[in-house]
Amino acid sequence: MRLTAAVTISHGRVHRNLGLGPRSRLDLLRNLVTALVRHERIEAPWARADEMQGYAERLIEYAKLGDRDERAMRMANFWLTEKDLIHKLFKVLAPRYQPHPGSYTRLLHIPNRNEIDRAKMAVIELKGNPFPPLIHPRRDTEKTLLNQLLKGYREDLQQAA
Amino acid sequence: RVSSDGKPTKFQPPPKPVIVSKQKQRDERRFLSPEFIPPRGRTDPLKYYMERKDMIQRRKVFNIPEFYVGSILAVTTADPYANDKVNRFVGICIQRGGKGLGATFILRNVIEDQGVEICYELYSPRIQAIEVLKLEKRLDDNLMYLRDALPEYSTFDMNMKPVSLSDHEEVPVNKLQVRMKPKPWSKRWERPKFNIKGIKFELPEEKMKAAQKWSKPWLEFDMMREYDTSKIEEKIWKEVSEALRK
Repeated sequence: MRLTAAVTISHGRVHRNLGLGPRSRLDLLRNLVTALVRHERIEAPWARADEMQGYAERLIEYAKLGDRDERAMRMANFWLTEKDLIHKLFKVLAPRYQPHPGSYTRLLHIPNRNEIDRAKMAVIELKGNPFPPLIHPRRDTEKTLLNQLLKGYREDLQQAA
Repeated sequence: RVSSDGKPTKFQPPPKPVIVSKQKQRDERRFLSPEFIPPRGRTDPLKYYMERKDMIQRRKVFNIPEFYVGSILAVTTADPYANDKVNRFVGICIQRGGKGLGATFILRNVIEDQGVEICYELYSPRIQAIEVLKLEKRLDDNLMYLRDALPEYSTFDMNMKPVSLSDHEEVPVNKLQVRMKPKPWSKRWERPKFNIKGIKFELPEEKMKAAQKWSKPWLEFDMMREYDTSKIEEKIWKEVSEALRK
């Protein structure tokens, strides 16, 4: 018999329960955000990476306000435990994402971890990183029947014009 | 009419009167009532749009003035059991809750040594008039601690005259620090969860330090809890002011 329905039904609660408590959850995510800003591509359990994505994107939005801003500097000081990364955030990442309005990270799935827990893993990376891309978006080949017919149709239009 | 020169005087038109349009003054001080701002969630914005249309229609017929938590209001409602069929209550607004058509506000007053709080719905058809007797803000958004404060801070005269505000740009903030009755209180107002600035705590230092044990300093850095309403407010303000102008 379910006695504590209030605990099990989330009713719009968006934060996952990670770690030992709310402080511990924020510390975990803080470590992950610091690692992401340092290495620009990290592997982590999918749930942690998903939580971290929101915080990383908001941190970059704060960084876009500029390092003169008091609030932005306090946020960066809290979220980045290694203080040399604050400079990287404001001087490298903020100008890189200045033209983009929205998503600055990419979250992709990975085969389960090889340890005994077989955890669902994900890789989270900042867009525009210097490493080779993880997925090659393949364009349709020209050799398929449909593409050949379309190519013929386009050529006919050009000849008619 | 002939002047001293002997030539007829030129007609001097009277100086043009300077008209300061009230519309401009009202626009400069923008106030969007908090119940228009939709809460953060996954509901369809169509629902909030439909509610806003109904709210604007009600506002066209009945004037809901601008007021804040801490201002003193007089509300007359229709009451079938009163002699005059109307019921007038004067009180200080301690809380504004709810979003959309169910928006409420609670007025508190102390009548014959008995504290009375009445929760009115802003858009209820039973309300016949809302009058702002004194427009001011307080240091907090929620004055529920007045229940545990000395009764002098909640008593207001029923036949109080309205205090008119000169056309300033700013609404005055009353930085009153309220003195409390001896403990126990209905809630532990000294705890940092309530973040109350309007109480003059006369508790000993150890009690104040012990209350800080419940503080959560990480909460201000939790970025996902922030809800930035500036853009939403702009859009809704434009929509509402245009609809009310028609």
